[in-house]
Amino acid sequence: MQRLKTLALLGLLTTLSIAQNPMDFISPEIKRVGMKLACLCGSCRNSVGDCSMIACGYAFPAKQKIKQLQTMGASDQNIVGRFVKEQGRKALSEPESTGFGLLGWLMPGFAVLIGLIAIGVYIKRFRSPMPAPAVPVEPAALADYASTAAKELDRMES
Amino acid sequence: MENVGALSLLLAFCVAIFALFSSIVGAWRKNLFLVAAAQRSVYLVWALITTASGLLLYGLIEGDFRLQYVASHSNKAMPLLYKITAWWGGQEGSLLFWSWILSCYGAVVVFTNRKQFKTIMPWVIGVIMFTQIFFLILNNFVVPPFQLWAIGRGIITLPDGQGLNPLLQTPSMAIHPPMLYLGYVGFIVPFAFAIASLITKQPGDEWIHTTRRWTLVTWLFQTIGITLGMGWAYYVLGWGGYWAWDPVENASVLPWITATAFLHSVMMQEKRGMMKVWNMVLVSATFFLCIFGTMLTRSGLVQSVHAFGISSIGNYFATFLAIGIAATVWLILDRLEFLKSESHLESVVSRESGFLFNNLVLLASCFAVLWGTLFPVISEAVTGEKISVDAPFFNKVNIPIGLFLLFLTGAGPLIAWRRSSPDSLRRNFMWPTIAMFVLMAVLFGAGIRNEYALLSFGLCLFVTATIASEFIKGAIAIAHKESMNVVRATIELTYRNTRRYGGYLVHMGVVVMFVGFTGAAFNKDLIVEASMGKSFNIGRYELKITDIKDGDEENYAWMKAKIDVLVDGQKIDTMEPERRIYKASRQPTSHVDIRRRLNEDLFLNFAAMATQGQGAVIQAYVFPLVSWIWVGFWVVLIGTIICLIPSKIKYSYARTEVVGTTTTNVSKGSHAKT
Repeated sequence: MQRLKTLALLGLLTTLSIAQNPMDFISPEIKRVGMKLACLCGSCRNSVGDCSMIACGYAFPAKQKIKQLQTMGASDQNIVGRFVKEQGRKALSEPESTGFGLLGWLMPGFAVLIGLIAIGVYIKRFRSPMPAPAVPVEPAALADYASTAAKELDRMES
Repeated sequence: MENVGALSLLLAFCVAIFALFSSIVGAWRKNLFLVAAAQRSVYLVWALITTASGLLLYGLIEGDFRLQYVASHSNKAMPLLYKITAWWGGQEGSLLFWSWILSCYGAVVVFTNRKQFKTIMPWVIGVIMFTQIFFLILNNFVVPPFQLWAIGRGIITLPDGQGLNPLLQTPSMAIHPPMLYLGYVGFIVPFAFAIASLITKQPGDEWIHTTRRWTLVTWLFQTIGITLGMGWAYYVLGWGGYWAWDPVENASVLPWITATAFLHSVMMQEKRGMMKVWNMVLVSATFFLCIFGTMLTRSGLVQSVHAFGISSIGNYFATFLAIGIAATVWLILDRLEFLKSESHLESVVSRESGFLFNNLVLLASCFAVLWGTLFPVISEAVTGEKISVDAPFFNKVNIPIGLFLLFLTGAGPLIAWRRSSPDSLRRNFMWPTIAMFVLMAVLFGAGIRNEYALLSFGLCLFVTATIASEFIKGAIAIAHKESMNVVRATIELTYRNTRRYGGYLVHMGVVVMFVGFTGAAFNKDLIVEASMGKSFNIGRYELKITDIKDGDEENYAWMKAKIDVLVDGQKIDTMEPERRIYKASRQPTSHVDIRRRLNEDLFLNFAAMATQGQGAVIQAYVFPLVSWIWVGFWVVLIGTIICLIPSKIKYSYARTEVVGTTTTNVSKGSHAKT
């Protein structure tokens, strides 16, 4: 009985492991288009071109479709457009550089700009006023400082 | 058993409420009896939550399948380690784990500070208990872990459980969540001290000195947790990636970034009494990002493979965050008078400015990650259409930020506090910069054309040179003075100022990690359907499948492909990638085989059986330099531990002021650099 169970499990593992031949859908042309499309399987955050799961529920059919459309002579732009038409903009692996998607790209740069302005304001506000005209230091006071500095240096090096 | 567990949690909730009010009223009325009662209540809360946790753990180990949680996340065949892991493998258990760690931190904080900080401790207890109450609300009323299976009024027991997700059944996944939680939850301590210091209008920076070790330790836990997660992804997921910019991964790194910024900017406050408001903002942001990350993982707000699923729990977190952030902002604004800067920035070219830029870059990175994580949700809310933001976006935005940060890692220590003269800048920057450009030229000559890789390698050498020069200069001075060899002098130097030189080691670890990250620019991958005995090539390796075996373990059945690895016709290794199917969940997983070397990893995944004849579909990858990421982590770990060791010499950062000016005849080259 145990042996039968094991055989059944191994049968299941073999069935699950035998994919539709994935080698048919690996080519630089498919990868090139696939890189522009997001893998929407929910398990990874890769593009269709990058997705390494052999039997991925989204990337694998997407690659099949890309190959089919390429065979029919569709351009990269047309193929991507087809995916966007069917799935919406979420089909793209990164925001477009137009419309609301542009905001996605601009905001990190905008944040850096705000940060730089904030640093500028901080420096302006907290920078020491212009150095006061030189005030001569009493030799006795200077000797005190020199002696303290020497003691500190000795302490650090001892 | 389940009744005792549930009752313990309910009692813990009641006692936590008492502790909160007792500490606040005690502090307000200066009633020491109430404060003492609050302190003891913190211990009681810990004891009660520990009881509940122990009972759940007992149920998991013993296989009490009457409990829904046990049946959903454990089964009889699971090894003991993974039965324990199941405690944090599901929503209810992991929130109980959160609560338990929080109660542990609370008890330790109260115990270690029971005889000091009499003014602020009641408020520290108040903040910790407020958070504890929130989590106990979740444990008791929203996601209780002690629910039973029942049909009608009859309690039923299942014959066996579903088992833990097979992907989580790895040793690193057993340690990764506890480490991450220890980091997440630990930030409550510096946050609580900061808030208590604000409430009581404490003069000075006592809260910073008190919580420095806490901050460093929790930061270390987070670093360990994040790196273990990276290691787990690399080994378990079968595609060799260690960071996928998944929302949950991002959630873990956000508070780590702000905590890193805090650890740097806090030095400005200690040395110069500057950036007090900013440090309050950073420590608060770190704590709230921890809570936000927990919400992101559990609410279903964003889609993630790591998430616990969609639930209404997000509303509770959102409410807690709204109350917490509003109260913190109000408190900071109300206490601005007590957070005034004590010093001025004397020059734009100074260490202080370096810290400002360091904080800017870290915060920019934090914002970019947060923005990318939330952009799909924001776009859907604004335009009604979800826009995907995946790895390409994060890489494009964060690689330049990361490289600038790497540059600052090297440049910061070369710039003196207060002001740096052009001469000292030239002297300090010259050789590291020359070394950087020479390496970049050599690599360019060797055929490397990836501009980010060139820059990254160059900067890695630049930072290494700056750190090495810091150690060498100091060690040689001590070696001369004390007549000892350079190695001993280096140890002595580090021991004299563990914080400074430990910090340099942490920076060195980051450099080593960057070397590993940069290797990704040269990854190679190949998917082949290879029949038995046939060879295929990737990089310098020739691979040949020689056998496919199968077998059965108690928990799973497996298939292994035996693959010979040859270089120049000589067999150098045999690798055995494996496929498993777990009996309880019927879920298949890959167990990759990795040939780890410092120059490159050969990574093989048994992806599927061949469609025709005897053979297998093998995914082969060559990952250059990836091992340096893990080496870098160990260096970071050692550096942080050194930072935690008390220095031989106690440095007191006296706040100095300029009393006048004079001219001295100091010869060139004899300037002391701070």
